[in-house]
Amino acid sequence: MSQTNRSRNRALVDFVLLPSLFLTVALLGGLRIGAESRTFIFIAPPLVTLLLAVLLMLLLLRGGLLSFHQWVGNDLPPLTNVAHIWMFITLFFASAQAFNSVLPERGLLHWLFSFFFLWTLWNNQFSSFDPRRLLRSLAVLFGTAFVFKHMLLASLYSPEGGWLKRVAGTLLQGAALGTLDAPSFAPATGYIAFFTLAFYVTGLILLGFAGHKNELPQKST
Amino acid sequence: MQSKIIQVAGLAFTIAYAAFIVWIYATEPRSFKEVTTSAEVAAGTYEINQEKFNSALNLFRREQFRAARNEWQQADPAQRDARTQFYIAYSFYREGWGRVYFDQELFRQGVEAVNRAIALSSGSPLTIDDPDLHMHTAAELKAELEQGLERSWSDVNPLKVLRTRK
Repeated sequence: MSQTNRSRNRALVDFVLLPSLFLTVALLGGLRIGAESRTFIFIAPPLVTLLLAVLLMLLLLRGGLLSFHQWVGNDLPPLTNVAHIWMFITLFFASAQAFNSVLPERGLLHWLFSFFFLWTLWNNQFSSFDPRRLLRSLAVLFGTAFVFKHMLLASLYSPEGGWLKRVAGTLLQGAALGTLDAPSFAPATGYIAFFTLAFYVTGLILLGFAGHKNELPQKST
Repeated sequence: MQSKIIQVAGLAFTIAYAAFIVWIYATEPRSFKEVTTSAEVAAGTYEINQEKFNSALNLFRREQFRAARNEWQQADPAQRDARTQFYIAYSFYREGWGRVYFDQELFRQGVEAVNRAIALSSGSPLTIDDPDLHMHTAAELKAELEQGLERSWSDVNPLKVLRTRK
């Protein structure tokens, strides 16, 4: 009986919960709320986020969080393989949209953030990771980007003039912030991004458990 | 067996969810109301608000063109009704028409609206049976609006003050 329940729960997580979670991230990752109009603004993932998502997928494979041979293989039924490949596709777009939610929309900061993400992900390709360390590293990477974009930059560019704007105004008197131009959004955008990233990291944790039955494995060092 | 059902149902549900996300990003609704309106359009159940349409028509007949346009825009928020778009274009024409000159900006917006009306009625030519109007087809209205946007030597003809608004 417990074996039946286990396989049923596993199927629910693998075929319903994980793809739904990743698709929700894909939906919310590009959603912003206009500062003045309070209307929805949907921002499709820029090309650079697709590149970042490819690097992240490779990192997930290399770090052992995604064991491709466990999810797709000759010994599995075709429908199961199709469902697992579909789940990987949803993970790819969720990754792209997770980056989209923490990247500034335009200007120099967009390229600076993209460069730092590319640099970090590229360097990590050559580091030794186990799934736990990889998860922690990704949570910190997205968390830091979230704090920079939705707390520091949002305060800097808020129309009401946040605390950082006043500090920056004092420190950078006379210097133009024009090159660091970024659109300002309603505070709700930050909440949406927070939950988007929370869903994404939760999905990755579940993926780690789903791929390895009950616990996250650690690489023997 | 139950796992198989979950698998198929999960796949079907998540593919539908993905299609919904693609549709949302393609239509870019700005509010939950627009989401429902777009869904009605996609499902083919979209209808204009007839009450607002009639109230706009009354305003149009009293020559309150801006107010009429506001009402029509609320009556047809998805801009999917050819008749409403025709009237919006007509209101731009009447407001922009002048004995000495035509308001180019209003006429330009009128052309956009009449183009929408023509695109929405691509099956058959759009004809409006309204005795208060002098132009009953979208093609006539479009030609009149486009003529108003053209610059020619006839613009300096003093006799043009005798022309009449349609």
